[in-house]
Amino acid sequence: MVWKIILFLLMTFVIIAGIAFPIVPQPSSWYEFPVIPGLEEKAKIIFFHVPTAWLAVIAFLMAMIYGIRYLRNKNLDEDAKSSAALQLGMVFAILAAITGSIWAKFTWGAFWHWDPRETSIFILLLIYGSLFALRSAIENEDKRARLSAVYSIIAFLTVPFFIFIMPRIMVGLHPGSANDDTSGPIVDFKMNANMQLIFYLSLIAFTILYWWMWKIRYKSIIISENIVKK
Amino acid sequence: MENGLFGFLENNSIYIVMFIVLVVWFGIFIFVQNTDKRLKAIEKELEKKNQP
Repeated sequence: MVWKIILFLLMTFVIIAGIAFPIVPQPSSWYEFPVIPGLEEKAKIIFFHVPTAWLAVIAFLMAMIYGIRYLRNKNLDEDAKSSAALQLGMVFAILAAITGSIWAKFTWGAFWHWDPRETSIFILLLIYGSLFALRSAIENEDKRARLSAVYSIIAFLTVPFFIFIMPRIMVGLHPGSANDDTSGPIVDFKMNANMQLIFYLSLIAFTILYWWMWKIRYKSIIISENIVKK
Repeated sequence: MENGLFGFLENNSIYIVMFIVLVVWFGIFIFVQNTDKRLKAIEKELEKKNQP
């Protein structure tokens, strides 16, 4: 499996680069990162925190896609894929909230103080959390799959607004907020080319890891469903 | 104690953090890899049982 080796090496490199590469005022060699005003050493969170939020979006998107596919062909395997993506999306959304909260304590002075970004992820967690309540409340498989598919479609309609739009048009402290003139949108973030490259490598590595976890999860759901049926 | 690799690591603790995170990552990778293998074995066994 070539992609497993790629994942292993990429993540190893991202960990080494993300933690150990120094941040200096005037980067002169390829392994030095520029200082971002107000963030300094804490800017390194971008290599580990942003990918978790990114994976939450990817996972919720995949939950919607497989929900639509279930509604089209009524194949319960599609529902298993959608459900696995939902679970992983929830895990990564929670991880994004926790890592961001720890970072906020040392950058903003409090673990939680209802910044637009914090509020939006909180509402997203509520929206998707209720989907799990919905799923566990229905015993009939087909009915559960149908309702969960419809809910995951409607729920995803709110994701672009809460992740990409609302925190950027409102005044807040999170890098990329409306009044943040030092950082701009997350991806521009005043990084130099090397920092950006490692950031994108990190996104790729985390996405492959997510895909692997998702495959294991939905396969195990399908297997357990097959065993229960017999 | 002041010189050599030990002294260097003592003065630059971030590299110790890096090695710890690397060990954690290796552990997670091996665990996921083993889970994947086991799942594939179960899948094969189920297929065998379903055939006759």
